[in-house]
Amino acid sequence: MKTDYKKIAVDGLITSNPTFKLVLGTCPTLALTTMAMNGIGMGLAVTFVLIFSNILISLLRKVIPNQVRIPAFVLIIATFVTIVRLLLDYAMPDLYDSLGLYLPLIVVNCIILARAESFASKHNVLASACDGLFTGLGFTVALTLMGAFREILGSGAIFGVKLWDFQIAFFSSSSGAFFTYAIFIAMFSLISGAVIDAKKRKAYGKINELKQENAVVFDNGGNE
Amino acid sequence: MENSNGILVYSSSPHKKAPHTTKWIMLNVLAALIPTSIMGIVFFGLNAFLLIIISLASSVAAEFIYYLIAGKPFREIAKDFDYSSCVTGLLVALTLGTNYPLYAPVFGSAFAVIVVKLLFGGTGKNFVNPAIVGRIFIFISFQSVVGSWLAPSIASVTGGTLSTGATTLVNILEYNTLPSLSVWDLLLGTGLSGCIGETCKLAILLGAIYLAILKIIDIRYPLIMVGTCGLLAVALKGFDFAYFLPSILTGGLILGAFFMATDYATTPNTKVGNYVYFALLGLLCAGLRQATNMETVSFAILLMNLFVPLIDKFILNRPFGHFKKKKERESK
Repeated sequence: MKTDYKKIAVDGLITSNPTFKLVLGTCPTLALTTMAMNGIGMGLAVTFVLIFSNILISLLRKVIPNQVRIPAFVLIIATFVTIVRLLLDYAMPDLYDSLGLYLPLIVVNCIILARAESFASKHNVLASACDGLFTGLGFTVALTLMGAFREILGSGAIFGVKLWDFQIAFFSSSSGAFFTYAIFIAMFSLISGAVIDAKKRKAYGKINELKQENAVVFDNGGNE
Repeated sequence: MENSNGILVYSSSPHKKAPHTTKWIMLNVLAALIPTSIMGIVFFGLNAFLLIIISLASSVAAEFIYYLIAGKPFREIAKDFDYSSCVTGLLVALTLGTNYPLYAPVFGSAFAVIVVKLLFGGTGKNFVNPAIVGRIFIFISFQSVVGSWLAPSIASVTGGTLSTGATTLVNILEYNTLPSLSVWDLLLGTGLSGCIGETCKLAILLGAIYLAILKIIDIRYPLIMVGTCGLLAVALKGFDFAYFLPSILTGGLILGAFFMATDYATTPNTKVGNYVYFALLGLLCAGLRQATNMETVSFAILLMNLFVPLIDKFILNRPFGHFKKKKERESK
């Protein structure tokens, strides 16, 4: 079976983006996006855990008995989360403090378990690593965008750099987090829906061309 | 049925309609709010006037801009415009203190009209009262810029001390001190600090009576809310009935009860449901006030608005000719 790496990349970043399409891992998404820097930090930590847990689970996929696979996955994930925690505590104590409780909670982040269950336990090592990388990047980009939006509006700054004094404190509050999340999901669906529509229209145009060329009546099932 | 051109017109019922269109109702609500607005401007001066005008303009502009982006032609927007966003804008402005920055109502009204009303499908499809959300949005967002409330320019008529800083309501709640102003002062709003629209209770009541005469609102429901709120406040203060009138006549309870809680879209459909809704609203309001030592009418209304579908689900009208199953069993 040949692996389609381009499809893995597009899936992880756009068509099954963990934040905007699958709505997974909402807890850190809502709590940590008050600042863009937090979003990047959390996203990269999750990406790291995702890549390595995917690799290890993919390597062990024929060894792990099916009945105890979930505890085994959680054990592997917890190992890498501990590594990330210790590394961050050593290298970036400020980021470690601002991420706080949400860093150990990566263990139960459903994105990682979902990728382990639905992808890494069925595919080879390279494909699993690639899937981990792109899913993690999709999560990182989503969190950074939301963090930047909330930081600009809520505290008048971006990446900690003060832009102006004007601020709408609503966007820093938790109600603002839900509102921002909803707006972003709506925008994402709008744009991806428009792209899918354009593709469909293109395909339909081709069918029309074929119709005119061949003068054959196509039955398209009444779909536009 | 023939029209003026002599052409026979077929149409389904109803053939005759009452003049109670949305436009007519909203214009009357605006008219009922005029005395309150005028008293606000008299008490708080130019700044109050500017806040009201900016809030009105931005809420109307928000509706037009939203529909223009959605691709509706300008002439149709103007034709379908039903003044409900004017009411929202005016109510948002009336719940502000005069020391709010002039950009505050722009964001508040736009948020109220676009997010709460238009995104959910326009007039009558809002799940909570837009004006309440606008006020809470401004309260959360800009309260740190503002600080305390300002006193009106007209002093007390019966010779009490002018209240500044903490409102009279906060004094009652937090320090258990009855206001130095008399009940007449509280009713007229003279010498009382607070929002633009909530100081002169008499003007609000005049508007409410006007709406009640036109049968736009049912005056019993807001009275239930005010009554239960006052009674619970009295009970929480150890059954001291000296607190009854001051706790009703301070803060935004009157404005909230008569003009915000009575929004058609966010009240239950049945009579019993309405009694339950407004009684719970009053209790929640008094309880939250005592628990937080601040004005909570807007938060109480927001919370209760979310319970309206639940009330409508469990409190239903008995259909005509419908009996309970128990009687059927007995007949067997």
